[in-house]
Amino acid sequence: MNGVPMAAYLALGLFMFTVGVVGVVVRRNPIVIFMCIELMLNAVNLTFLTFARYGLNQAAGSDAARSAVAGQMMVIFVMAVAAAEVAVGLGIIMAIFRLRDNIDIDEMNLLKG
Amino acid sequence: MNFDLIYLVLGLPLLGFLILTLFGTGIEKTLGRYALAVVSVLPIVGAFAAGALRTLSLSAGTSAVVGGPDWISIYGLRVPFEWTVDPLSMTMVLIITGIGSLIFLYSTGYMAEEREYSRFFTYLNLFVLAMLILVLGNNLALLFVGWEGVGLCSYLLIGFWYTDLANARAANKAFVVNRVGDWGLTLGIFLIVTTLVAFGNVSDGRYLSYDAILPSLQDALQAHPILATAIGLLLFVGAMGKSAQFPLYLWLPDAMAGPTPVSALIHAATMVTSGVVLLNRMHVVYELSPVASAVVCGVGAFTAIFAALIALGQTDIKKVLAYSTVSQLGFMFIGVGAGGYWTGMFHVATHAFFKALLFLGAGAVIHAMAHDQDMRNYGALRKYLPITSITMFIGTLAISAVGIPGVFGFAGFYSKEALLGAALANDHAIISNVAGYVGLVTAGLTAFYMMRMTSLTFLGKEERWRNLPAQAMHTTDEEDHAHGHHGLGPDFKPHEAPISMTFPLIVLALLSTFGGWLMAQNGAFEKWLAPVSGPKLLGEVSIEPHGFPLAWISLAFAVGGLLAGLAWYRGGLPHDEGFDETRWGAFRRAAYGQFGYDALLTGAAVEGGAELATVLDRGVERSVIDGAVNGSVGLSTWAGRGLGLLQRGLIRSYALLMLLGAVAIVGILAYGAMTGGAR
Repeated sequence: MNGVPMAAYLALGLFMFTVGVVGVVVRRNPIVIFMCIELMLNAVNLTFLTFARYGLNQAAGSDAARSAVAGQMMVIFVMAVAAAEVAVGLGIIMAIFRLRDNIDIDEMNLLKG
Repeated sequence: MNFDLIYLVLGLPLLGFLILTLFGTGIEKTLGRYALAVVSVLPIVGAFAAGALRTLSLSAGTSAVVGGPDWISIYGLRVPFEWTVDPLSMTMVLIITGIGSLIFLYSTGYMAEEREYSRFFTYLNLFVLAMLILVLGNNLALLFVGWEGVGLCSYLLIGFWYTDLANARAANKAFVVNRVGDWGLTLGIFLIVTTLVAFGNVSDGRYLSYDAILPSLQDALQAHPILATAIGLLLFVGAMGKSAQFPLYLWLPDAMAGPTPVSALIHAATMVTSGVVLLNRMHVVYELSPVASAVVCGVGAFTAIFAALIALGQTDIKKVLAYSTVSQLGFMFIGVGAGGYWTGMFHVATHAFFKALLFLGAGAVIHAMAHDQDMRNYGALRKYLPITSITMFIGTLAISAVGIPGVFGFAGFYSKEALLGAALANDHAIISNVAGYVGLVTAGLTAFYMMRMTSLTFLGKEERWRNLPAQAMHTTDEEDHAHGHHGLGPDFKPHEAPISMTFPLIVLALLSTFGGWLMAQNGAFEKWLAPVSGPKLLGEVSIEPHGFPLAWISLAFAVGGLLAGLAWYRGGLPHDEGFDETRWGAFRRAAYGQFGYDALLTGAAVEGGAELATVLDRGVERSVIDGAVNGSVGLSTWAGRGLGLLQRGLIRSYALLMLLGAVAIVGILAYGAMTGGAR
């Protein structure tokens, strides 16, 4: 529509998601991990919006307008959940820091088998 | 359903049992022992009266089946509550309730000092009920109910003084040994049903009722004689258990641990004869199987002489009578095995008279002698116990089969002659002649050991209990439970029993004297039993061997045994039978120890069982079973450790695993979408 193909948006989303996954797995600082989780969520958001905009469901014969609204609504939900998640998560991190003066994620291993 | 007197016969003991169970101790506390005794004895006397009336209305040669509601009714099998009224069952009913009444009366005196008076009579009433079900039931299932019921009551009454471990052991032994017999009986019943299903023709599904199966069984077994032998042997195993025959007689001598009236009623007069009743009921099977008959005959003869020999070595007056009972039961099986089924029943009846008499007399002696049962402490008791000694002497003459042929004889004379005659005159069971001669010798032994008992107890001049130190307490089964008596000692003076105990003795003495003579008049008893016990296939079973004056020879053995016993023990207790067992002869010591048979079998069964258990413990339990259990424990532990490695508490590794899982799921979905087509 504006000359940018759909694949480019999807590729960007994939790249952001991959960065987020790798960050969650390799980093030990929970703040950074949170940022990576946000990155993954945003990658998903981008993908939702892409599909909403380009109307993937047209092929299945459904209503294009309704499909677009559904995708955009999902993004709003994700943002709301992400905000709540960050609020709770940061609270937990603060509590842990006050308890142990340390928030290294590898030392939080009390629940091991 | 018409009312039949037979319901009264069965109902009264049931009523007595229920009243005593529910209100027994209450009656004893509020109305006293006298009232309780009345409540206990009346049902049996009433049952006897009803049984006698019913017998009189039974016209000769008939039998009636009194039907009732169904007990079991499944598919082709129907087992009703039905009762058979015929000469065989009514003979047993009269013995059970008649002798039972006398023994109940006797018990009111004998057990008067007992704490648990009502419990005793509760069990006795239940026993009478079970025994009546056994003989009156018209099918093998009801017979089995009675069979187990009397076994239970026997167990309860042997262990009546259960606080003494020896009594509890004796009760257990009786129960366990009887299980072996019951095994045979149940298998026999199953085989009968199987045979009838395969080859027989039973119309209305009553595969266990005598009147329905006996004709059909006869036809089926004639076609398949091997089955007759199998059924005959299995049923005889049941009879061996209940009637204390050779391999399984072990429990009966130990059963003397119970109160003496119980020994008289259950372990002499009624329950132990149920094997003979069973074989009489099913005698068609034995007529068709000479092999099974020969086994019955042989086992009976061996038991008779074996137990008689053991009786020679006993010092306990009740043990002598116990082995005598085993021996007399052997006699009954000699007659039954030889084909003279009614002779076995004849001996059941006369034996009920004189053995109940002897046991009750022994009870009176024990009662008089401060509950000491050791004959070595008796002697010269005729001075103190005139009624007991005279009646017991009559009992001795009756069991020794004394009589003048053709004129008059005591009860045992007629029955013993009949069954030995049946053994000697017939060749249905191939070894019955041998069994007959063994029986003759045993009759001599019987007279000898009975005279030994009489001499040691009543005759002589020496009052041996006066040699005991004052208040010497001998450990006997009954001692701890009796109150208000003095221990034996120099000043002890025995006292005759009260009237409630002597009256039954006198009645039984009269029966032992005239009972056999009356029943033998013109073969009355044989004709009476002929419809049930008369042979169906064998033809005439004679009881008079040709060219052999059995009656005179039997009399010679009896009198010889009595005189020999009198001569041997005229000087009182011989030195080689005293308390110093090291001076006993080898034979007497062996006889005292049952020739090692009890020890052998107990060793094999109890200690062998323990050995086997040890081997199994070491070999199977600890290696195989424990191995399997511990192995599965080890496996779980190992698996848990392995899986625990994944659960290290590292959040990042969890995240990685989640990622891998998600990728796998997506991969699978994508693969499915590509191969299966998008939907």
